[in-house]
Amino acid sequence: MRVLWQVIVKEFLQIRRDVRMIPVIFVAPVVQITVFGFAVNTDVTNVPMVLVDEDRSATSRDLVSRFVDSGYFDVVGSEERADAAERWLAVGRAQMALVLPAGFGADVVSRRTAALQVIVDGSDASSANIALGYASAVTQAYGVDIQATRVRPRSGTATVRLEPRVFYNPDLRSRWYYVPAVLAMILLVMTLLLSAMGVVREKEIGTMEQLIVTPIRPWQLLVGKLAPFAIIGLIQVFLVTAVTIFGFKVPLRGSFLVLLGLSCLFLLSTLGLGLLVSTLVQNQQQAMMGAALAVMMPMILLSGLIFPIENMPRAIQLFTYLIPVRYYAEIIRGVFLRGSGLSVLWPQAAVLLGMGVAILTVASLRFRKRLD
Amino acid sequence: MPLGVPGRPEGPTAAVETHDLSKHFGAFKAVDRISLAVEEGEIFGFLGANGAGKSTTIRMLCGLLRPTSGTALVLGTDVAKDPEGVKRRIGYMSQRFSLYDDLTVAQNLRFFGGVYGLAGTAARERQAWALRMAGLEGKEGRLTGELPGGWKQRLALACAVLHEPRVVFLDEPTSGVDPISRRRFWRLIDDMSAAGVTVFVTTHYLDEAEYCHRLGLIHAGRLVALGTVSELKRVFGGATVLEVTAPRAAEALESIGAQPWALETSVFGTRIHVVVADAEEGRRRIEELLHEAGNEPVGVGRILPSLEDVFIHHVEQAEAAGREARP
Amino acid sequence: MRRLRAVMLKELRQIRRDPFSLLMLIAFPALMLVLYGFALSFDVRHVRLAVQDRDRSPRSRELVASFTHSTYFDLVATPAPGQDLARLTETRVARAILVIPEQFGRDLAAGREATVQLLLDGADSTTAATILGYARALVSAANADVVTEELARAGRRPAPRLDLSPRILYNPDLESTQFLLPGLIGLLMMITAVLSTALSVVREKERGTMEQLRVAPLRTLELILGKTFPYLGISLLATVIVLVTARVLFGVEIRGFLPDLLVVVLLYLFGALGYGLFISTIANSQTFAFQAGLLTSLLPALLLSGFVFQIRIMPPWLQAITYIVPNRYFLVVLRGIILKGERLTTYWPDVWALVVYGLVVTALASLRLVRRED
Repeated sequence: MRVLWQVIVKEFLQIRRDVRMIPVIFVAPVVQITVFGFAVNTDVTNVPMVLVDEDRSATSRDLVSRFVDSGYFDVVGSEERADAAERWLAVGRAQMALVLPAGFGADVVSRRTAALQVIVDGSDASSANIALGYASAVTQAYGVDIQATRVRPRSGTATVRLEPRVFYNPDLRSRWYYVPAVLAMILLVMTLLLSAMGVVREKEIGTMEQLIVTPIRPWQLLVGKLAPFAIIGLIQVFLVTAVTIFGFKVPLRGSFLVLLGLSCLFLLSTLGLGLLVSTLVQNQQQAMMGAALAVMMPMILLSGLIFPIENMPRAIQLFTYLIPVRYYAEIIRGVFLRGSGLSVLWPQAAVLLGMGVAILTVASLRFRKRLD
Repeated sequence: MPLGVPGRPEGPTAAVETHDLSKHFGAFKAVDRISLAVEEGEIFGFLGANGAGKSTTIRMLCGLLRPTSGTALVLGTDVAKDPEGVKRRIGYMSQRFSLYDDLTVAQNLRFFGGVYGLAGTAARERQAWALRMAGLEGKEGRLTGELPGGWKQRLALACAVLHEPRVVFLDEPTSGVDPISRRRFWRLIDDMSAAGVTVFVTTHYLDEAEYCHRLGLIHAGRLVALGTVSELKRVFGGATVLEVTAPRAAEALESIGAQPWALETSVFGTRIHVVVADAEEGRRRIEELLHEAGNEPVGVGRILPSLEDVFIHHVEQAEAAGREARP
Repeated sequence: MRRLRAVMLKELRQIRRDPFSLLMLIAFPALMLVLYGFALSFDVRHVRLAVQDRDRSPRSRELVASFTHSTYFDLVATPAPGQDLARLTETRVARAILVIPEQFGRDLAAGREATVQLLLDGADSTTAATILGYARALVSAANADVVTEELARAGRRPAPRLDLSPRILYNPDLESTQFLLPGLIGLLMMITAVLSTALSVVREKERGTMEQLRVAPLRTLELILGKTFPYLGISLLATVIVLVTARVLFGVEIRGFLPDLLVVVLLYLFGALGYGLFISTIANSQTFAFQAGLLTSLLPALLLSGFVFQIRIMPPWLQAITYIVPNRYFLVVLRGIILKGERLTTYWPDVWALVVYGLVVTALASLRLVRRED
């Protein structure tokens, strides 16, 4: 035990000595969560729209004001002709063009089928989809109102009203969805890299040789090297959660202790992976390349943090069961937004525990007190 | 192959002994059947050029590399079967300075002391001793990375012996260190040996080799000579070594070397060493030869063979043998 | 020139001796592109829907049918009245629950407006918003049908319908892969370019060979060019591989002018490599270089460049920060050329921004390289 303690002390002394690491450990995560918390936002609002009103009738103006009043669209300009409006889309100054052809109003009044056109920049497919949805909703509502007033000017109509009730996130703030995800990302990046680099660095500068010639046992060396990073990781959970709750007002409906405890389980996996990478490479450059490109990027992109897993092909969905971050993402959202406790999250916890232990075991078995 | 007194010395069991110890990296034979024995309390020097296999041998003896074949016993423990047992009882200083540059002197001492299992009063006493030995008293708070080279080496040695091992392996401990510090370092080694510690040193500084009790010369992975310093110097038998200084050294080297009566020639800077059977005869012939070529020698004198001469002699012999072995 | 070539050759040899890193730099972006091109999308399909129909009238069944027969929703559960509905979403059995009250059919028959409830799991808010959109569209369509029916029954001519004919430019099938791929390219290029340059210089510093280089009669410019050229080559090679893969596997065609694409890629790489060099001048250890490089290039490239999240809706101070993220400009131009088939000239401001960025970081890097004494 004394030996273990010595290793932990040494690691902390070294970290403290490296002046640059302090900001990286404490300041960087806070900065990251702040910046990215504000950046991550997929709410589709203020869609820039360019207007082509060739009709200029009371009806067309009425419809346009419906669009504006909906709050979803910002009219950023108007053009005489549709092809001129398309340039706006090409350059990127507008995402949508609303084209009301001449005679639109007349058609509506005389009850003919009135055609209008919406041109959408399809590059950003998801927001285009949503914007189209809005446009069609506004148009439909307008259509229904016209028809309804025509039929029975004074009474209502037997139409259906859809009343949404949203659990956990009534205003559907995408920030509530993503900011906890950023917490997971920061934790993953920090602990994975620090642990991979930490071990390889000693190999590269030669102190590893001096260490393995002593009677130190592998577990003492590994736990001693990884424990400080675990502690740092937990401190970061603390800091970043504080910003999330107080800065972004994302509610923490579950228990903070549960969050902390389950984060520890997650750390088992990330630290284990970092260690595993370090046993496979010769120098720091390879450690970094390997850790970042081969491990981290796939994990972030396939974990369900940003892109929903349900949309992935079946084969890849199956693969994501092997990614620890997937379970942590579920835990994070569960604890923050749904107030879930262990009674709901125990499967994820169990998997993380199992994975962490397995990875650490494999990594330590690979670690030999020998140079060849 | 080994000249001088070969094999196991008489007396107590050897602190370190190897039998046909070998290490191959694929087809490359880094260490090729080395057999030697080092007595307790001896300072054993392992001499060789870079890449000859010194470090590889030491690493095997410390349990850091697994031997490909052959055996090695350190204090009676087989390095292949129980490397951890070996590590507990030895001290090792690696070739690259491998203490933590970003820790202070005291922190390094405390760390390695702790790792070796020292605690409490014993730990403090040993640390104090280490500081004294290394001459670093009062400098405990200095950052190791900021120490001058010689001090770092002494500190590394101190860290390696905190746990009072009976055998210490030092891999090129004084490389890159100034001559005065090197002397000081060797005095420390002498002190340790006097206290009964076996010191196994590798070096490529031939002047340092003179400080060792016995030497092993290694070349291309093989032990080409083994014995005390005087035993090794006796290898020249009745032959003499002449030192020649001439204006055009390279030319002189070539022309002398082509002569059958020049048993061996080698160059040291601008001076040429020639091994001849008879001193007077040899001198006359050299002066004649160079005079004819208009390369008037500045000096031709007899010198005592240095270890360098011995070393080169053995290396050339080994290479010649190697060439003959190849078709 | 000879000195420049010497530096380049040395760098190339060192790169070649580390096949692992080389593999990462070249093959990996392509491999990842393949993987993610198939996996990443925001399109929402097969939404797990639970339906609690307390009415069970023909009208309610009609409504339910319109939901379940649509391609958007999959019926996964029909909870009985009184069952805990929140639990369904908490255990993620269903993403959305349609609740039809008892009086639904009666209200409609009496000519009153009838309300149905849609319960949504808001924790996954992006998909929730989309689901809500689908549901609204379905209900709207149903309503329009109702009204038309009423009119027909009342003997009136059906009132005019508004025919919204959407035209979707550049990506008619609204596949998100088309959108994500340019962003992914930019991201991968940024990582490889910045990291490889930063690490290569810091490695020399750590090993001590940097001093050796400075003592040589090498001009700073030669040193910079010599060190970055090989990585420029590698990055370009990786870019080509990625573009070819995108074309072959995802049909992402470059609709624009190929040389335009090359120009903007070169400009972008120039800036990325320059930034990597700059990082290397302020870092003393590879760990720091890597962390700093990653933090300041990967994460902004992922989150602040318009790759996934739109810049337009960020708070103003954050939008200001995005002006110094080169990926922002790169993406605009890249999307423009690849997806919209535009010429480089359409995006002059962004192109110039890339040029300025490249010059500024390279200048900063050289200044620091010259000034350092240790």
